Amino acid sequence: MKNIFILLFCWCFFSAAPVVAVQVEELGNPSSPDLLGADLLEDEYEDFAFEDKEFEDIYDPLEPLNRVFFQFNDKLYFWVLKPVKTGYSYIVPAELRECFGNFFNNLAAPIRLINNLLQGRFNDAGIVLSRFFINTTIGVYGLADVALQEFNLEPRLADFGQTLGVYGLGEGVYICWPIFGPSNIRDTVGAVGDTFASPIIYVNMTNTESVLYYSANRINFLSLSPDLYEDLKKYSLDPYVATRQSFYDFRRNVIKKAKREETDF
Amino acid sequence: MKKTNVVLIYFVVSVFLAALPAFGTPSPTEQLKPTLDKLVTILGDQELQGDEKKRERRQKIMSTIAERFDFQEMSKRVLGSPWRDINEEQKKYFTELMTKLLENNYIGQLENYSGQKIEYVGERIKDDKAQVSTLIENNGAIYPVHYIMSQEGERWLVYDINIEGVSLVRNYRAEFKSIIRKDKYEGLVKILEEKNKSFE
Repeated sequence: MKNIFILLFCWCFFSAAPVVAVQVEELGNPSSPDLLGADLLEDEYEDFAFEDKEFEDIYDPLEPLNRVFFQFNDKLYFWVLKPVKTGYSYIVPAELRECFGNFFNNLAAPIRLINNLLQGRFNDAGIVLSRFFINTTIGVYGLADVALQEFNLEPRLADFGQTLGVYGLGEGVYICWPIFGPSNIRDTVGAVGDTFASPIIYVNMTNTESVLYYSANRINFLSLSPDLYEDLKKYSLDPYVATRQSFYDFRRNVIKKAKREETDF
Repeated sequence: MKKTNVVLIYFVVSVFLAALPAFGTPSPTEQLKPTLDKLVTILGDQELQGDEKKRERRQKIMSTIAERFDFQEMSKRVLGSPWRDINEEQKKYFTELMTKLLENNYIGQLENYSGQKIEYVGERIKDDKAQVSTLIENNGAIYPVHYIMSQEGERWLVYDINIEGVSLVRNYRAEFKSIIRKDKYEGLVKILEEKNKSFE
């Protein structure tokens, strides 16, 4: 259990962490089940008045501290992650990096399975299970995403922060963690919960091995994602606010989508 | 005339009338598609590749975007309530600044993806607002992009772009709000001017 903090570290690879890179994971997947976003229009575009209500529900009393951590993450990205990522991408061919990405993703299947079940998305849970079995066997330990390529089974993402949101738990205070990036109280609790569903926690690894595993995962993940953070920084006037807003918009959308996909009986 | 016939004629006429607007104006998708097709053509045009052609390429992209994007509506939405407090001249200048920023943003995103394929997966219309959903494929990854449009007479014009719940307008609006709180409208204009200079 001493690995728990290192496992928390891992969460940055999957969940809210690499500034906005989390979006890539979702975006990178082939069409999510409901692309129309059934209530996008109602929620956000129907009646535009000059009301600014919609922003006041982001609660950020820690802003001064968060901004310091945001700066730290910015330096971490440009001074460490980006150079390492660039070198890594140069050495390792893209096909191989994709295989590694599939492998890491496949190992996180229990997290998606449990949360799909908790959210009442039984169809999606079934798909997660099928994907896991197909990819672990025919896909050779998850190195190839055969389930997607041959069986057209698209990934069904789910995490515990989302589950709590579906249950109606509020977001709480916004937190920009050093290293992990944007989050809030609810998603932080969710991330800790998810580590217990990760099989990695039950493998006896030394601390060094764990850090290596998660660093490899993160660098590999970044090497496969477009430079979203750099774009965001380039086109925004206040990258801190832009990141915070994107994070909330993205998470709220994820929860909204989960609610729509609950299986009806 | 028999009563049933009257009912039937009434029914046929009303169905026809109800369907009329659909014949009259092309749908939001039908209006958006030529614009996006043109953009893809410009981006894929071999004769317009390379840095020395950058200016010409951007010129073409910008004029294409201008046909279908409602920059004034975007500016108004982005600024929020302060829009009411500024005069006509300021509104015009702010729209100019916003147009430049949004064009650079959108073009920058487009230029990251060459030879993209756009698939139109859905359309929803609600009164004078519409949402056209597309999937853009690039290097094996698929990105859902929703265009939010409003009707101006016969034309449907884009006033927001939404990717996975993240709205372009809302994002800028949150940023502007926090800047205005600190530096007032004048400060925001200065920051916008500087940002736009950084693209040149």
